[in-house]
Amino acid sequence: MAFLPLDVQNALKRQAPKALRRDLEKEAKRNFKRIKAEMIKEFLSHPVTQEIMEGPSAPNISGTLGGVSNLFAFIGFDAGNQPVAPILERLEAVDIIYNKEYKEKGIGVSFNVFLPTAEDIFAITPLPWATGRSWAEGIERGISGLGYLLRKSGGRSGAAVQSRVNKVRGGRFQNTPYISSFIKRYKKRFEELK
Amino acid sequence: MIAQFQHKLTTSFFLWFDNFLLEKGEAYTNTTGDFFYYADPRLDATYVAYGSPFKQWVTDSSITGATIPSGVFIDGDFSGRNDGVVLDFDNGRALISGDTTDSAVTGEFAVKDFNVYLTNDTEDDLITENKYTVNSRLPSGPWTYIEPYDDVVPAIFLSTAQAENKPFAFGGMQDTTVQAKAVIIAEDTYQLDGVLSIFMDSVDETVAAIPMSGYPITELGDLKGDSYDYTGVKNDYVGETTFYVNKVRTSKLSDRTRKVLANELYVGFIDFDIEQHRYRFS
Repeated sequence: MAFLPLDVQNALKRQAPKALRRDLEKEAKRNFKRIKAEMIKEFLSHPVTQEIMEGPSAPNISGTLGGVSNLFAFIGFDAGNQPVAPILERLEAVDIIYNKEYKEKGIGVSFNVFLPTAEDIFAITPLPWATGRSWAEGIERGISGLGYLLRKSGGRSGAAVQSRVNKVRGGRFQNTPYISSFIKRYKKRFEELK
Repeated sequence: MIAQFQHKLTTSFFLWFDNFLLEKGEAYTNTTGDFFYYADPRLDATYVAYGSPFKQWVTDSSITGATIPSGVFIDGDFSGRNDGVVLDFDNGRALISGDTTDSAVTGEFAVKDFNVYLTNDTEDDLITENKYTVNSRLPSGPWTYIEPYDDVVPAIFLSTAQAENKPFAFGGMQDTTVQAKAVIIAEDTYQLDGVLSIFMDSVDETVAAIPMSGYPITELGDLKGDSYDYTGVKNDYVGETTFYVNKVRTSKLSDRTRKVLANELYVGFIDFDIEQHRYRFS
């Protein structure tokens, strides 16, 4: 193995990041865009996301309600609400920014990726009937059928609705991994970006 | 079955919550008044029941300024536990030995601003199904006893939901997280905001681990050993690993939604993450 003289090594460390920055940035951004596209695609194809996006007439494809009713109605959203939109907006806004030259271990440049935390997502996904609580967090930790009952009480009434309410209550909500595991996974992928 | 971790957590959380609310919020009112006789078929023939207009009474002597009763006045004479009086703090009444139903009974006690109950009901059951008697802390009369046994509001319903173990340290130590919930049903927004504010600030508190045997109330609603002091009981178990309030979120039922409910009550929620580092089956 050939050894470079120390002064050459130091000169490389000093000059290479500047010289290579444009190429490295191009490469990093290309990889970043690919992972970001995968992230958004995965989020949009999650059964919970799909079910909520389909609105009040969707089937319970997430299986969280044992096939009875659907998440949109169970959580208590009103027709026309787009609860997933703020999350999508945050994911679309994920960006990569040049940080600094990297000289300590190897030669290169480093970037910052601004990915929201799970807490950031929970803060923008309020339950329609209790704004201090997050429906997205509720998917992971459990959510009561209160929104469904209150919405029904405020709207239609009668035996048909009542029996449907009873069915939903009888089925109970089944928690499922959603935002936290998703963000954790993509945080790792962005950290490994090279 | 012998008591498990979950039993200890439930007892500890309940006693801590009650004490924290009373201490930080001074959430009680000292009261003096008449007690009223009523027939209670659940009682055996040893006692007759004289009920006050309020339940639950404060049991905790560590709450500065709260009047903790040790007896009642029967026809003007004080009678305590040694005279055959049982004080049912939960149901707000005195159980008096004998069969006299026309005594003039009066007493002094501190009534909680919020009754605190443990429950297994879901939030939707608590809020939409249960038809509560409102035991107003600002009643306008006429004065009479409050019916025993049924839950009344204003009240706070405590429950534990999910629990999870995660490996924490070599040797099998676990990081156990339990989600505990409180549903608050209040008479007005002042009360509700007060409770939410107190417990929002309970993050980072430690909760003394008190086993079920440390629960201070007997089957008749009176105090074991004639008195109960949360601080004292806590000190009895100082060697036990405490629980830790790692996260607290508070929220309220929105006003628009609240108006759907048939009653005029105000509803709030507190979600706690309680943690303890422990070994399994301890």
